[in-house]
Amino acid sequence: MGAVPQLVISTVLLGGIYALIAVGLTLIFGIMRVVNFAHGEFLMLGMYLAFWAFALWGLDPYVVLVGAVPIFFGVGLVTYALVMRGVVKASHNVQIFTTVGLSTALQNAALVVWTGDFRVVRPWHSGVVIRLGEAAFNLSQVVAFAVAVLFTAALVAFMKWTRAGRIMRATAQDVEAATLMGIDTDRVYRLAWAIGLVCVGIAGVLMSPLYSVYPTAGLQFVLLAYVVVVLGGLGDMMGALLGSLIVAAVEVIGSYLVGSAWKEVIYFVLFIAVLVFRPAGLFGQRGSETLGA
Amino acid sequence: MIRDGFLLDGLILILLWGAVSGAWNVAGGYAGQVSLGHSAFFGIGAYSAALLATRFHQSPWLGLLVGALLATVAGLVIGYLSTRLKGPYFGLATIAFSQVLLIVASRWRGFTSGSEGIPVPFRPGLWTLGFQSKVAWVYLILGLAVTVYLVARYLETSRPGYQLAGVREDEDAAEALGIPSRRLKVAAVAASAALTSVCGGLWAQYVGFVDPFYVFSVDLSVRFALNSIIGGIGTAIGPFVGSLLITSLETYLRATFSDFKAGLIGIYLIIYGGLLIVVVRFVPQGLVGWLGERLRAVGRYARA
Amino acid sequence: MLELESVTKRFGGLTAVKEVSLHAQPGEILGIIGPNGAGKTTLFNVISGFYAPDAGRVRLDGREIGGLPAHRICALGLTRTFQLVKPFGNLSVLDNVMIGALTRVRAVDRAREEARRVIATCRLEAFAKSRARSLPIGLRKRLEVARALATRPRLLLLDEVMSGLNPAELVEMIAILRRLHGDGVGLIVIEHIMAAMMRLAQRIVVLHHGEKIAEGRPAEISRDPRVVDAYLGEEFVLADA
Repeated sequence: MGAVPQLVISTVLLGGIYALIAVGLTLIFGIMRVVNFAHGEFLMLGMYLAFWAFALWGLDPYVVLVGAVPIFFGVGLVTYALVMRGVVKASHNVQIFTTVGLSTALQNAALVVWTGDFRVVRPWHSGVVIRLGEAAFNLSQVVAFAVAVLFTAALVAFMKWTRAGRIMRATAQDVEAATLMGIDTDRVYRLAWAIGLVCVGIAGVLMSPLYSVYPTAGLQFVLLAYVVVVLGGLGDMMGALLGSLIVAAVEVIGSYLVGSAWKEVIYFVLFIAVLVFRPAGLFGQRGSETLGA
Repeated sequence: MIRDGFLLDGLILILLWGAVSGAWNVAGGYAGQVSLGHSAFFGIGAYSAALLATRFHQSPWLGLLVGALLATVAGLVIGYLSTRLKGPYFGLATIAFSQVLLIVASRWRGFTSGSEGIPVPFRPGLWTLGFQSKVAWVYLILGLAVTVYLVARYLETSRPGYQLAGVREDEDAAEALGIPSRRLKVAAVAASAALTSVCGGLWAQYVGFVDPFYVFSVDLSVRFALNSIIGGIGTAIGPFVGSLLITSLETYLRATFSDFKAGLIGIYLIIYGGLLIVVVRFVPQGLVGWLGERLRAVGRYARA
Repeated sequence: MLELESVTKRFGGLTAVKEVSLHAQPGEILGIIGPNGAGKTTLFNVISGFYAPDAGRVRLDGREIGGLPAHRICALGLTRTFQLVKPFGNLSVLDNVMIGALTRVRAVDRAREEARRVIATCRLEAFAKSRARSLPIGLRKRLEVARALATRPRLLLLDEVMSGLNPAELVEMIAILRRLHGDGVGLIVIEHIMAAMMRLAQRIVVLHHGEKIAEGRPAEISRDPRVVDAYLGEEFVLADA
């Protein structure tokens, strides 16, 4: 019984972060129907942004957070114009290898420019431990969680209640109808891409005090994000939130029971199982599979 | 003497990476099932060879066979996945599969020596695949490359090959014409897996060390695909052309940039990442396909 | 030869095909008409194995084929074409047809010979080496038929092979179909071009909202008030018999 509060809190805190990563991925997938294999690299870039701002100018990651939004939005617009435009309508191979190529290029750019050394960001709050009864957690974790939740909520609200959000959802549902109604689908895709990158970039900044920073840091998290997104149903935002909690739970409880060595095996196997047996996700509607459509 | 060795090493690597890309191409190019987790099969082959040599003291040739069998089983599973999942989703599943193997291999201290990897012992002799001279390796790997090439040519000229082409172009139409599409896809993936694993086993013997973080990496999987896409996906010679370009550049860069600038070697991968994006969009048939079209166009002008 | 007994196909809440029964005799030309959304293509999908029926039976030569995979049904002698043609775009016309022939002929060179014969029958020789993707719609439709023909079907299901053809191509297509009929191949034809259907079909089945509303000879059908009713609002002229 003693471990339960800790497990619950750790799960929730971790789940918040995963939610932010996953929500961006599921947005990009939901609107563009493209699996972004480079998502993890933008997470990595967010982490490096926080690191260099800290190392060079002593800026706290939470300060960098504010600047990260326009920065990643800009990165999104640029990468869309250079790389992603037109990918939506192209063949599967183009969709796969465009983002795979982007992933390779970004990873190695980071490796060349910043070397493979593991970096750490240690602002004053990363050492602060908060105790609540028998549970202990890190102040950085709490802030990351809080910001992630706020951001995700804002995104969900944006999609649901603003005009732009509705336009995006309409496009996701029926591209042809949207075009016939005068919606510029290219702009919709660009916006979805940019917002998706902002989410994951912010997640990177938030995670920088908690994890080591290195060029291939994105890989483990992006695989995790895919597990979340597939569990929750590709394109389903609420599903992504629930999926985050599940994956976080598997990770936290798995670590506790089986040791951190094998927990990853659990969720990869879960991932493949979901893909095969319930491709619409645990919460998706049976028969609404659009995998590969 | 040293230079000769260096050139031979380069040649061996070009042929080896060409062969493994050609093996990938059986599934990715000819069957249209793009896998991003082929390092799983490569690693199975590498580990089989290494483990059979070190733990069970068997000939690495046996290791190749065992690896091929294991990889075929894994390939049947992945092949089944390919009939359920399309395009990028299949790619995701294959990545997950290779990562599961990576975790297992890197944590199972008792069996696979965990993250330390396995050094492959060098014992001179044909039976133990221990060759002093690189020239012997060149012949061996050349044999491997030719085998893979012939498999690809078979797929271009045989009945199952043509049927597979139909499946790749339009699966529904192929089914309506009496082609058992699922069976063919699974068979292609399994064959691809077996070939890839043999390449992995030979690579392990040649290089002498099996590191789980390398042999099961996503990076490696992408490299297999990269060679084929740039060289010509769905052609027999394409993967080798791609490998020639990429491996020789890599080898040259490695030689030129010594330790302190070792990071700069990564530049070629940045270039290839970009090249991948461009080629897959604008030259989807790859270099070989593109050249083929140019030659045919020239031929038409010549005859007109 | 082909027998459908009360076949039903549902998609969620929508019943696309409702208790449709029909039969096709060997070697006859059966037409299936109906307004858009009547369930004609869905019916083809069920017969040819792309969908399994939710209820009812499909029998070919007395043998149950409901639920069998499409490629098995083709091997048993029933081949279908697609309304939105599906050529193997990057392959040549010859290769397209040859792939069809390979279902019956194992040796590649003999299959190629067979393909050449079929291509000649369908008057596509001039395009044998062309990429399927480069063909205009009229020729693509002909290729679709040729490819299906190469599988040596005893029963051929043709889904709107005549729509999109210009008058000259229509004449060619009808000639091809008549020749097939002469060779004893059974045809089930979904069509919108009423004039062609009236001249070609020996019997016609009319579908509306997934149900069979009429069946009979062309002359009878064109005068059937239920059929005329179903087509009101469609730009359609029922030809005089």
